[in-house]
Amino acid sequence: MVSYRWQRKKGPTLKELGLTALFSTIIAVLLTYTYADGPFWAYWVISQCIGLSICTLCCGCIALFKPQTTWGLAGVLMLAIIAGGIIGGAMGAWLSGIELPVFTYKKTYGLRVLVMSLLFGSVGAYFFVSRARFSEIQEMLQEERIQRLTSEKHAVQSQLKMLQAQIEPHFLFNTLSNILSLLETDADRGKKMLGDLTRYLRASLAETRSQWSTLGSEMELVGAYLNIFKVRMDDRLKVHIEMDAALKEIPFAPMLIQPLVENAVIHGLDATIEGGAIQIRAEQENGLLRITVADTGQGIGAGPSQGLGLANIRERLNALYGRQGRLIITENQPRGVKAVIEVPYAAA
Amino acid sequence: MPPLKAVLADDEKSLCVHLKNLLRQAWPELQICAEARNGLEALAMIEKHRPDIAFLDIKMPGMSGMEVARKAAALCRIVFVTAYDQFAVQAFENEALDYLLKPVEPERLARTVQRLKERLQNRKLDDPAPLQAVLKSLQIHLAAGAPATYLKWIKVPDRQSLRLIAVEEICCFQAQDKYTVVRTEREEFLIRKPIRELIEELDPQTFWQIHRSTIVNAAWIDKISPSLTGSYVLTLKSRSGTFTVSRGYRDRFKSM
Repeated sequence: MVSYRWQRKKGPTLKELGLTALFSTIIAVLLTYTYADGPFWAYWVISQCIGLSICTLCCGCIALFKPQTTWGLAGVLMLAIIAGGIIGGAMGAWLSGIELPVFTYKKTYGLRVLVMSLLFGSVGAYFFVSRARFSEIQEMLQEERIQRLTSEKHAVQSQLKMLQAQIEPHFLFNTLSNILSLLETDADRGKKMLGDLTRYLRASLAETRSQWSTLGSEMELVGAYLNIFKVRMDDRLKVHIEMDAALKEIPFAPMLIQPLVENAVIHGLDATIEGGAIQIRAEQENGLLRITVADTGQGIGAGPSQGLGLANIRERLNALYGRQGRLIITENQPRGVKAVIEVPYAAA
Repeated sequence: MPPLKAVLADDEKSLCVHLKNLLRQAWPELQICAEARNGLEALAMIEKHRPDIAFLDIKMPGMSGMEVARKAAALCRIVFVTAYDQFAVQAFENEALDYLLKPVEPERLARTVQRLKERLQNRKLDDPAPLQAVLKSLQIHLAAGAPATYLKWIKVPDRQSLRLIAVEEICCFQAQDKYTVVRTEREEFLIRKPIRELIEELDPQTFWQIHRSTIVNAAWIDKISPSLTGSYVLTLKSRSGTFTVSRGYRDRFKSM
């Protein structure tokens, strides 16, 4: 069943009334020539009365009853046409004061008007309804186009935000100073950290440009990031990463997991004196791929708002997976935050 | 004259070690009496050792370098150390305060050491007013960046756990019997907190009460159209229907 989104709030528009008048005039001409037994003006007056009252009643009834289905609409229109025919016919007869042979004799006048009204009324109503549906479709297309354009704009904006977020200067300069100091005290660890930074930067720069990555390379990126923080935070950070090797090749959107890990480390763990643990788990269950990032940090209420970063993830999940992509934030037990990304599982 | 003493504070161990090594080369006579790993420790060390200089990392857990400086300004000279903080650096420059940027470069450190030596010759502390002024202005800046006073998260019960919903995600709150319905683009939750309490705790810039039982998130408003009865009808981007602004809450829209 087709459902109608368009709903009238007002009576007929001037344009509709004008078209109805024109339509009624054509009918009057037709009737005058077909029967040729009365003056044109009388046919014209009756036709106008019937046409305009049907038009007004149809529009009024749609606005009043708001039919949602095709059958509902047809029923409402049928009633409106019959009522409009009776009222318009009576008014026309009274106004013209002539008994036209087509509508002969008072006994059958009502019946004839009804038949005529239903015939011409249905044609007219069909014309108006299809016109309305056509303009509705046009409107929908327009709306869709606008929506597509805005979502494209959003995509570009969120990509920019992503880029800015990754090359966070505080992170970069702190890591560089660590490398510099390690190169003097523990050159091997310094080199390893430089390697991790390079891997992280290369992966994140490459990934912002491509729409798809794999779960394996996303986890590698997160691993490099956490290696850097393990050096920086020393024994204050514990890392557990669990992922089934079979999931490595699964296609996955880039930079969805990393911001969650960053939130957990910077806002959750590094902000506390004692630090804590971060646990990352990727698993597949009932057609869903679930990535969990849990920390034992200070919890979400304490730190600055992360709403924008999370909104960005949510936006991208929505753009890539529609309603099937979800981000759920809960309180971790006994403390900290647990963030879960759920997307449909598609085997590689 | 006994040697000058210093306390170093940085939550990242290797950075502390690095600064210590550089200082040994640039200023061999300086006695480094303690290294702190967080703000609380730093303040305790300063109070205990009474150093002449404290090198304070700005971002530390427990208590930031700024807060430590505010409390210790009367006890010793402060040198801030930061990886990146454009507002703070600008403020330090304006007031000619001492600061170092990470990674610390030997040439830059040498200049700072030179300055410190000159100023500390007579062991008299500088006027702490410029430092306090900078800290105060930065505090305002920091506070503006994170308005902690308004609700940022709504906790909603969801199965066994507590879900956290960021307020940015919420389109509207609607009173329903004894509960309040929290609507996001796709989901609905029930919380016990009534509308009148919520409106007190939410940021009034973004959350507008439009009815005794309705609060909408202004960021989610798609369009506002005047209604036939002289009121306003709001449509939200979430397509969750329309909302009519009730009489008592119209003023906000009249001025638009």
